[in-house]
Amino acid sequence: MTTATAAVYDPQLPGGASAVAASARQVTKAYGSGETKVTALDAVDVDIQRGRFTAIMGPSGSGKSTLMHCLAGLDTVSGGRIWIGDTEITGLKDKQLTRLRRDKIGFIFQAFNLLPTLNALENITLPMDIAGRKPDQAWLDQVVETVGLAGRLKHRPTQLSGGQQQRVAVARALAARPEIIFGDEPTGNLDSRAGAEVLTFLRRSVDELGQTMVMVTHDPVAAGYADRVLFLADGLIVDEMHAPTADSVLERMRRFDGKRTS
Amino acid sequence: MLLKTSLRSFFAHKGRMALSLIAVVLSVAFVSGTLVFSNTATSTFDKLFAATASDVAVQPPKPAEDEEQQAAVRPPTVPVAVAGQVASVPGVKQAVGQVMVQNATLVNPATNKLVGPTSGAPTMLGNWTETPRTPVTITSGHAPQGAGELVLDADTAKKAKLGLGDKVRVENSGGKHDFTIAGIATFTTTNPGAALGFLDTPTAQQVLLGEAAYTSVEAFGDGSRGNDQLKADTVAKVGGGYQVKTAAEQKEENTKQIGSGLDFMKYAMLGFAFVSAIVGGFLIINTFSMLVAQRTREIGLLRAIGGSRRQVNRSVLVEALILGVLGSTLGVAAGLGVAVGLIKLMNAIGMDLKAADLQIGPDVFVAGYALGIVVTLVAAWVPARRASRISPMAALRDHGTPAEAKANLVRTVVGLLLTAGGGALLVLGGQSEKAATGGQYLGLGVVLTLVGFVVLGPLLASAVVRVLGAVLPAVFGPSGKLAQRNAMRNPRRTGATAAALMIGLALVIASSVFSSSAVTSASAQIDKSVGVDYIVQGGRTEVTPEMLDIVRRTPGIDHVTTQKFFPAKLGLPDGQSAKNQLTAVPPAFFGSDFHPSLDSGTAASIEQGSLGIGAVFAKDHNLKVGDRVTVDYGRGRTQTLPVGAVFAKGELFGDGSFVAMDTMAQVVPAAEQPPVWTFFAKASAGTDVARTLTALQDGLKEYPQLVVKDQAGYKELVQSQINTLLYLIYGLVALSITVAVLGVVNTLALSVVERTREIGLLRAIGLSRRQLRRMIRLESVVIAVFGAVLGSGLGLAWGVTVQRVLRDQGLGTLSVPTVTIAVTLVSSVVIGLVAALVPAFRAGRMNVLSAIATD
Repeated sequence: MTTATAAVYDPQLPGGASAVAASARQVTKAYGSGETKVTALDAVDVDIQRGRFTAIMGPSGSGKSTLMHCLAGLDTVSGGRIWIGDTEITGLKDKQLTRLRRDKIGFIFQAFNLLPTLNALENITLPMDIAGRKPDQAWLDQVVETVGLAGRLKHRPTQLSGGQQQRVAVARALAARPEIIFGDEPTGNLDSRAGAEVLTFLRRSVDELGQTMVMVTHDPVAAGYADRVLFLADGLIVDEMHAPTADSVLERMRRFDGKRTS
Repeated sequence: MLLKTSLRSFFAHKGRMALSLIAVVLSVAFVSGTLVFSNTATSTFDKLFAATASDVAVQPPKPAEDEEQQAAVRPPTVPVAVAGQVASVPGVKQAVGQVMVQNATLVNPATNKLVGPTSGAPTMLGNWTETPRTPVTITSGHAPQGAGELVLDADTAKKAKLGLGDKVRVENSGGKHDFTIAGIATFTTTNPGAALGFLDTPTAQQVLLGEAAYTSVEAFGDGSRGNDQLKADTVAKVGGGYQVKTAAEQKEENTKQIGSGLDFMKYAMLGFAFVSAIVGGFLIINTFSMLVAQRTREIGLLRAIGGSRRQVNRSVLVEALILGVLGSTLGVAAGLGVAVGLIKLMNAIGMDLKAADLQIGPDVFVAGYALGIVVTLVAAWVPARRASRISPMAALRDHGTPAEAKANLVRTVVGLLLTAGGGALLVLGGQSEKAATGGQYLGLGVVLTLVGFVVLGPLLASAVVRVLGAVLPAVFGPSGKLAQRNAMRNPRRTGATAAALMIGLALVIASSVFSSSAVTSASAQIDKSVGVDYIVQGGRTEVTPEMLDIVRRTPGIDHVTTQKFFPAKLGLPDGQSAKNQLTAVPPAFFGSDFHPSLDSGTAASIEQGSLGIGAVFAKDHNLKVGDRVTVDYGRGRTQTLPVGAVFAKGELFGDGSFVAMDTMAQVVPAAEQPPVWTFFAKASAGTDVARTLTALQDGLKEYPQLVVKDQAGYKELVQSQINTLLYLIYGLVALSITVAVLGVVNTLALSVVERTREIGLLRAIGLSRRQLRRMIRLESVVIAVFGAVLGSGLGLAWGVTVQRVLRDQGLGTLSVPTVTIAVTLVSSVVIGLVAALVPAFRAGRMNVLSAIATD
C-alpha cells in the first residue's frame, strides 16, 4: 500500500527512517476562527523513536490528546505535516486513513475498547479480520501469552474485569504488529493494581517485542513506565525528560502548576 | 412537573416519535375516514329517500320463502284495481300505479353496447309518472308517449353518448323492443349510480310486465292524516295480503339495501385500519422500549433521588398519551382526506356523492381518538412497566447501555403452548368434515399461531438469526459477522421489529396459497369433468329462446345445453324434509357435457327418472341409491323419485341435486319453470374451437349482456375474479409492510445511536465506511429476512389449512405459489436494504473522534 498512497519520506528530516516511527513538523491545530479562535497545537515538531515507549503529559487543555489524535490519523491538522513510518498522512483521504489505521496503527482507549458482541479472541483479531488478513498464529500465541489471557479467550467482554478488558485491548493493538501503538489514557479507568499490570504489559511489549508505543496520560506513575516523556503546555512542547521516574515527572508537573498559579 | 419531563422528553425524541406517529395516524385515518365516508353516504341516501319516498306504498305480497327464485324471474305485481282502492282511502290525495323492474337490459342498437352500469348499481326501467316526489325531472324533450318513446336519465345518456332522437333497445325475457329517446331526465337529488329508463304506463306494463298491472302503488297524502294512520286505513281497504309501507319504513328498507352495498368497502377499510393498528402497536412498543432503554441511567437517577415507581411508570405513559393524542388528531384530519378519496372513488363508479357534504359526526372523533389513544397506551404499557422496574443502581453503572434482554422461560413456555395449540387447531381444521367447523378451527388457529409466534419472536430470533447469520460471515466477512452478532444481541427488539413484517408477509403468502389453489383447482376441475366447449352467461337478464337459437344455428356447434335451478325441498324417507339446490338438466348434460365423479349409482340413471344427490347431502341425511325421495319444486308441484346417483364430494356443482328436464316437466308446467341464466354449448367433433368462439361472439353481438367464453377464457375469467380479491388483500398488505419498514428504520436508527461508541471504535481500528454501512445494511436485511421467514412459515400453514378446509368447496387441489414465496423472500431483502438507507448513511457520516468520546 505504501507505493500507492504514501508520500516519499523526506530524507532531510532528522533521525532517518529506521529510527523514527512517527514524526510531526510544524503541526498546528486550531478550532474556530477570528476572535473565538483556539489554538490547540501551535507549530509542534516531534519525532517518535522506533521501539521506544513515549509518554505525552501536560495539564488539561494542553493539547496532549489532540497531538495524539493528529499523529494517529484520527483528527485532521490545520497546518504542518505528519508521517507514520515513511508515509505522510496529512492530506490522505478518509479511505486511505482508514486503511492506514487498520494496517499500521494500534489503539488502546481509556474505556470501551471492545465490542460486546465479540469474545476476547475475536476482539483481538478484529483489525486483521477487517483487513481480511489471517493472523500470524505464532505471534498471536506469543501476544496472548505475554498479556496473560490464555484462559479467557472465549469470554465476552462483560465477563471480564476492567483490567482484563484493557489487557485484551493491548493484545488487540499488538496482534496486528502495527508500526506504532497509541494509548489514550489506557489506565485512566483502572485501579492502581490493574493499572500497574497493564502498564507492565505495555513496557514488556516494548522491551520484549520491540513495539513502538505512544501514551497520553496525566498520571505521573504511568509516565514513569516510559522511556521518554514529552511535556505539553498551551499547544507547545515545553520540555522533555528521558528515563523518567514517577517522582521526577511529578516534580516537573508541579512546576507547571506553580507557573500557572503565579 | 411530571408532564413537563414527559413533554420535554417527547420533543427531544421527535425523530423517533415521528415514525410511531405515522403508524398511529394511518390507523386512525382509516377508521375515521371510513366513518366519515359511510356517514356521508348514509346521510346522502337518507335525503334522497326522504325526498322521493311516497307516504304509503302498497307492494305485492311477500313471496313465500321457497318461491323467491320464481319471484325474481317474473316481477311480482299488484292489480290495477288496487290503485283505485288506495285512491279512495280518506286522506290520500293521489295514488299512482308504478311499474319499476330491474330485469331488463338497455342496449344501444347502433353500437351493440350496453347502456348503463355494467356492475354494481342496477338498470331500472319503469313507467313515467307525475308524482309530488319524483327523483328526476325532464330537462329536455318530453314525457314518453305511445309505444315507441323512452326517457333516459341524463347521466346515463351522457356516458353512453346518447341524445334526443337516438335509438335505444330494451332487452328482456320478452325479446327486443326498440325505442326512440323522447326526453332526458335529470336527477333532482343524488344519483345513486343507477340507470333509469321510463316508458309510458301502457307500454311499460306490456313490455316490462307482460300484463296490465303495477309493481307497486304509491300513495301521497293530503296532509290531514299521519302516515301510520294512512297505512292502517290502506291495509283495511286493500286487504292484508299486500305489503304496505310508510315513508319511514321504505326509507329504512332502502337504506339497508344501499348500506349492504357499501358494507364491503367499509369492512375492507376497517381491515386496513385494524392491520395498521396492530403493526403500529409493535412499532410503538419498540419505540418506547428503546427510549426507556436509552434512558436507563436517567431513570435510575430519578429513582435514586426519590422518584417512585409509579411516577416513572406514569412519565412513560404520559409520553405515550401525548403521542396518542397528537397521532389521533392528525389521523382524524387525514381521515377527511381518506373520506374524500373514497367519495371520489364512488363518483368514478357512478355514485354521485358530494365531497362538500362531508358528515363529520361526534362518532368520528370518539372512534378516532379512542383507537389512537388506546393503541398507544396499550403498546406503551409494557415498556412503561419495564421502566418502573429499573433500579436506582442503574444510575451508578458505567454506561447507559441496556442489559441485553434474554428470552425468558415463561415467555418460551407460553409461546410454545400457544403455537402448539394453534398448530393443533389448524390440523384439526384441516381434517374436519364440514367446512364451517373447519373454518372455526382455522380462525382460532390463525390467531393462536400468530400470537404464539409473536411471543416466541425473541427466542426464534436467536435461533433463526443464528442460522441465517451463519452464512453472513462466510460471504461478507467481518461486516457480516458483526451484523449477525448485532441482530442477535437484543432478540426481543429483533423479534418485535420482525413481527410487524411477519404479519404482513404471512397474509401475502396465505392469500396467495389460497388464490393459486383456487385457480388451479378450478382449472383442474374444468379439465377433468367439463366436456362442453363454451359457456354463455346471461348477466342480469334471463336467456331467451332466441339467443339459444342463434347459438344452435352457429356453424360448428353440435348442441346447446341448458339448466334450470329450483330451490327445492326434498322429502326424506324418514318423513323429514331438507332444502337443496336442484338442477334440472337435459340428457346431454351427463351424457357428453359433464363428467362428474360418482360415489355410487350411475349418472345415466338420472336420465331414466332418478335423482342425483351430493355425497355430503347423502351422508347428512343417511341416503343411499334406491331410497325414495319426494321432490317439492314449490307451488305444490311434487313428485317422488328414487335416488339413482350419489356424486363425489368437492365436485363442480357443489352439493346440489340433479333431475332430468323431462322428469321435472312431468309435474312443473312450462309457464312455471324458471328461466335459463347460463347455458353451455359443445362444438361438433373436429371443429376449430377458437374460430367457432369468434362465430358465436359475432352471432350474439346484439346481446352485449351475454358473456361468451370457451374453456380457456372461462379459466381466465375465474382467475381474474380471484385476482380482484387478491389485489385488495395486497393493498392491505402493502400498507402493513410500509408500517413495518418504518419499524425496521426505527430499530436501526436507535441501534446506531446506541452503538455510537462501538462504531467510533470500529472506525478507529480500521473499519471502512463502506464496511460499516454494509454491516448496518446486513443487520437490517437479517431482521427483514427473519420476519419474512416467519411470515412465510405462518402464511404457508394458514394457506394450506384454508385449502384443506375448503377442499370440498372447490379448492380440491393445493397449489403452493413458489414464485410468490421466492419473490416475498427476495423482496424482504430489498425491504431490509431500503430500511437501512438512512441509518447506514448516518452511521457512515459519524465523526470518529466524537463517536469515541460519546458518553
